[in-house]
Amino acid sequence: MIWPFITRSLEIATILLLAAIGELLDERAGVLNVGIEGLMLFGGAAGFIAALKWGLLPGFIVGTIVGGAFGLLHAILSITLKVNQVVSGMGIWLFAMGFVTYWADRYSGPLPMGMVSPRIYGLSPMFFIALAIVFVIWFILSRTHLGLKIRAVGEDPSTAEVSGVNVIRIRYLCTTIGGLLGGLAGAFLVLTYLACWSHLPTMGLGWVALALVMFSLWRPPILLAGALLFGFIWQFAISPETIYAGIPAPLPILRMLPFAVTIIFLTAISTERFRRKWALAKPAALGQPYIKE
Amino acid sequence: MSITEADILFKDVKKGETILEMRGITKIYPGGVVANDHIDFDLKAGEIHALLGENGAGKTTLMNILYGLLRPDEGEIYIRGRKVVFKSPLDAIRMGIGMVHQHRKLIPAHTVLENIVLGHPKVGKILNLDEIEREVRELCEQYGFKLDLHAKVWQLSAGEKQMVEIIKALYRGARILILDEPTSELTPLEIEKFLESIKVMAEKGLGIVPFVTHKLPIVLRVADRITILRRGKVVARMRREEATMLNLAKKMVGREVLFRTVRVKAKIGEPILEVRDLHALNDRGVPAIKGISFTVREGEIFGIAGVTGNGQQELAEVLMGLRKPIKGKIIFRGRDITNASILERWKLGMGYIPPEREFGAIKDFTLVENIAMNYYFDEKFVKSKLLLDYNKLRELAMKAISEFNIMAPSVDTKAGHLSGGNLQKLILARVMMRRPKLLIANLPTHGLDVGATEFVRNKLMEYKREGAAVLLISEDLDEVLSLSDTVAPIYEGRFVSILPIERVKKEEIGAMMAGAFS
Amino acid sequence: MISLRFPRLKFERIVVLTGADAIKISALSVVISFMVFGAFLSFEGADPLVAYEHIFSFAFDPKLGLPTTLHRGFFLIFNTLAFIIPLAAGIWNIGMEGQFYLGTIGAFAVAYSFPDLSPAALIPLMLISGAIFGAAYGALAGFLKGKMNVNEVVVTIMLNNIAFWLVYLLTVGGPWAGIAESTSRPLPENAWAPMIWDTPFTGILVIALAILVYFFLKKTTIGYQIRILGSNPIVAKHVGISAPKISVLVMAIGGAIAGLSGYHMWAGDPAFLMIPRPEAYKAIGDLTYWGIILGLICLLNPLASVPASIFIGSIIVGTTVLVRRLRLPFGLDVLFLGIISLVFAAFQFFHQYRIKRVKVVRR
Repeated sequence: MIWPFITRSLEIATILLLAAIGELLDERAGVLNVGIEGLMLFGGAAGFIAALKWGLLPGFIVGTIVGGAFGLLHAILSITLKVNQVVSGMGIWLFAMGFVTYWADRYSGPLPMGMVSPRIYGLSPMFFIALAIVFVIWFILSRTHLGLKIRAVGEDPSTAEVSGVNVIRIRYLCTTIGGLLGGLAGAFLVLTYLACWSHLPTMGLGWVALALVMFSLWRPPILLAGALLFGFIWQFAISPETIYAGIPAPLPILRMLPFAVTIIFLTAISTERFRRKWALAKPAALGQPYIKE
Repeated sequence: MSITEADILFKDVKKGETILEMRGITKIYPGGVVANDHIDFDLKAGEIHALLGENGAGKTTLMNILYGLLRPDEGEIYIRGRKVVFKSPLDAIRMGIGMVHQHRKLIPAHTVLENIVLGHPKVGKILNLDEIEREVRELCEQYGFKLDLHAKVWQLSAGEKQMVEIIKALYRGARILILDEPTSELTPLEIEKFLESIKVMAEKGLGIVPFVTHKLPIVLRVADRITILRRGKVVARMRREEATMLNLAKKMVGREVLFRTVRVKAKIGEPILEVRDLHALNDRGVPAIKGISFTVREGEIFGIAGVTGNGQQELAEVLMGLRKPIKGKIIFRGRDITNASILERWKLGMGYIPPEREFGAIKDFTLVENIAMNYYFDEKFVKSKLLLDYNKLRELAMKAISEFNIMAPSVDTKAGHLSGGNLQKLILARVMMRRPKLLIANLPTHGLDVGATEFVRNKLMEYKREGAAVLLISEDLDEVLSLSDTVAPIYEGRFVSILPIERVKKEEIGAMMAGAFS
Repeated sequence: MISLRFPRLKFERIVVLTGADAIKISALSVVISFMVFGAFLSFEGADPLVAYEHIFSFAFDPKLGLPTTLHRGFFLIFNTLAFIIPLAAGIWNIGMEGQFYLGTIGAFAVAYSFPDLSPAALIPLMLISGAIFGAAYGALAGFLKGKMNVNEVVVTIMLNNIAFWLVYLLTVGGPWAGIAESTSRPLPENAWAPMIWDTPFTGILVIALAILVYFFLKKTTIGYQIRILGSNPIVAKHVGISAPKISVLVMAIGGAIAGLSGYHMWAGDPAFLMIPRPEAYKAIGDLTYWGIILGLICLLNPLASVPASIFIGSIIVGTTVLVRRLRLPFGLDVLFLGIISLVFAAFQFFHQYRIKRVKVVRR
């Protein structure tokens, strides 16, 4: 009975991986998007409706693209129109809740019989795709000139600008990619994990993804480990008897865990001691609009 | 190493050949301020040609024009005889001009190598760091720089950071290096290393332009030629052989008629402020105050003369509680306030006029609300322990307007609508109406026009006459000399001397400010 | 200054935004939102004007929607005030949801512990308890921010999620569970909010609070220090204002007010009088985020938050009529809210910049 538990955990981990690695890229470039939940809603809704019309694969593609569109919207609002990044993210999320309910709730229900996501021994290939994406982004950030530019933009945009980096273009790129991945995460959630649409199906996973990015200290390897951990905790919370019969692990406490742990981490990296040792884990310019004087 | 455009431009340069010519550079800011007035400047390959001038002399503007941050209104720039126009620093970099900023433009969280490589046009998509590392190491060896390429920049000392910026510029093919206050944050040992390295760079045919406002002794050791700016014009050009500390200082500071402020003698009374052996660090963790002791008495204006960056700002901050000292005592009216909070210091009778108007007034607030900043903790202005007594504050504001000649339609005007001079008067009013026993005036006439400047100076004089102690910090030597009863030139965190005004000679003070006799 | 792709326009920073300007911008946002939603209505085959007439006549009809409109409006006022006060000091309190949940817990704990106390004693106790719980939750975030400079946006979002599950822990199969096992037990009758004309007394409380907050910020010395810290932290430091102390204070006050909304929400609406199922109480918790949008629209003016909150409350209530009465597709009601939030967020741009035509000067 343990294998289904593992595969379901990995599916949650996949959703978190996709959404979080996108947001990690975004934040490395200095842009905070608190509306990941909104991206996932759009991706899920668009994906579901497209899947009903045209099939699973088109569903995934459409969900991803729609997510990207809203990532782009966030970029326009917060980078060009200089709207506060938190306000922009919240605005898009609140809009998502309303719009997606209107758009997709009429289709509530399971996917048609036969439209089942492919699985290899119960394991979804999307997990490996997500791993690949994490690897690619890790490679880009740490080994390429582009990645260096992205990190520079997130640390000190004016220094980057003077060194010849197009700050605006990089921020747009990263925010849009964050959107694409958030949309993909949502599509995967709805089309594979849930295989149905219900009212606001994201269950707060978007916020967990946000916590995960902070928890990972903006490093992809830690993100991977964290996603697996959080995925395990999430799934464990709804099937504790699979692991240990007789231990009543309350769902709420396990659900709280990722958030509580993240706060502890964030506090720890803000102390003087940590700053001296592992200095400057947070992208210094995160959340600040870039104003060219 | 990959070939840059600058490499082609500078092919076969001979030492002594003129590689940079700036002719007739003129820049006028909106409002009529002439920052650069038909300046001619040239640089030869293998030469160190220093540019001297006080703050406001026009150095920064000239430097920004050369680096492509500003366009001149008149004049041309030629590099190796070819006329160039810079639309941005990237153009200047392409043409072989590199700049090392005073406040490092590096990313602290990244490694040395990453900072050097960032944005380099010839670096490929994938960072082949081994290849690049080899090239950068060669470059470092060429110029005698010892750098750990994998260290994070935040771990480096000021001197090492400067080396990184130099190597960064050189790796992009710079042939002309502009150095902005290159020794201002270095320890003496680092300064030696730095001088060695620029000599080596000059040997190899680079042209170096250090821009300095002080540290004259250092400049004298390495510069081949020296050009002095004052009020936007070139006032002297000298070769090293002709230059001495005194004649440099004289040219920089000029022979000026003292302002019409009449110095009044007041009765000198009790010591109000006693500072004993004060030591403090600056924001970068480097010692900025290295053992300062002095006393200011009632009825005395104690003037600190110095160029920005020698510790005066840190001194003001420590005295006011904005910065913690690492050693020493501050005694105010007989009380040890070394560890007192800022609020306590205000309550005890200290007053502080900050060096920037942005630190002293809030543009969105009205005049009344700005005045209240010094009265919200004063029981006389608080009703029932909770509410600000706006009636009394309004009266105070109206008094401020009349006593300090503030041009404002009403006390309910927002401070943002006031001109610079009137805003400064507002800040002065807010602080001075409390009648602090010690008034610390930090750059009180900075950026003000002649009328406002004179007003402020007269007010300070008046205030001293009432028996207060005033500590004046100013970059304008004339101002210090015309107002102070005691003058203390500051250089590298120490007072070079403390002299009563009668014994002061202007050129001597100017030289002390610049590093002589220290 | 930045230039758009169209070379004749440029953005110019606004130095001072007047109240009149802000009202104009808000009015424009409202109009645009109505137009956008009107487009959707037309698309679904409804006449926008008819629909709007239905919405507002229902929402403000004393026999139909008005009590709920006011109730939700009051709820929003609490949470807007909770956002405004910290932001006056420059701190972004995104934690109203969590503080509301904690206030709920505080109030209900008292009610369940002392169900037989007379209302005159029980209700004030519940309010105080709710406020204290909310204040503590807010102060936690304020402390982390003021003392250790941990980003308050992220911390409060995390705390919100934790708080949601805390309520879940207590209600779903927990010590407070009711017969249904997924909601809480009903509140004892002594805890119910006394009603005046079908509205709970907490409505008067919140309006009084709004006025109090207005005077607090404008007239008191502490309010003054808060505003200085929010306008310019450097100036604040120069004149002796302590950022850590003020941070904790404003977050505690904000948290307390959001905490009060816990009592108001559940004990003030006869349709609840208990903590409902998680989906339902989450939906209310999500409403607290409107405090952010409303706070920004009102330019942090507590008095303005009253009409603005009632307006949004009327939309929350009125749009239910679209599905019930006009048989329009499900979700159209929440869509309107969604459109308003996006449009208002986007229009924040106009709070900072003006668009100007550039005169092309030939030299």
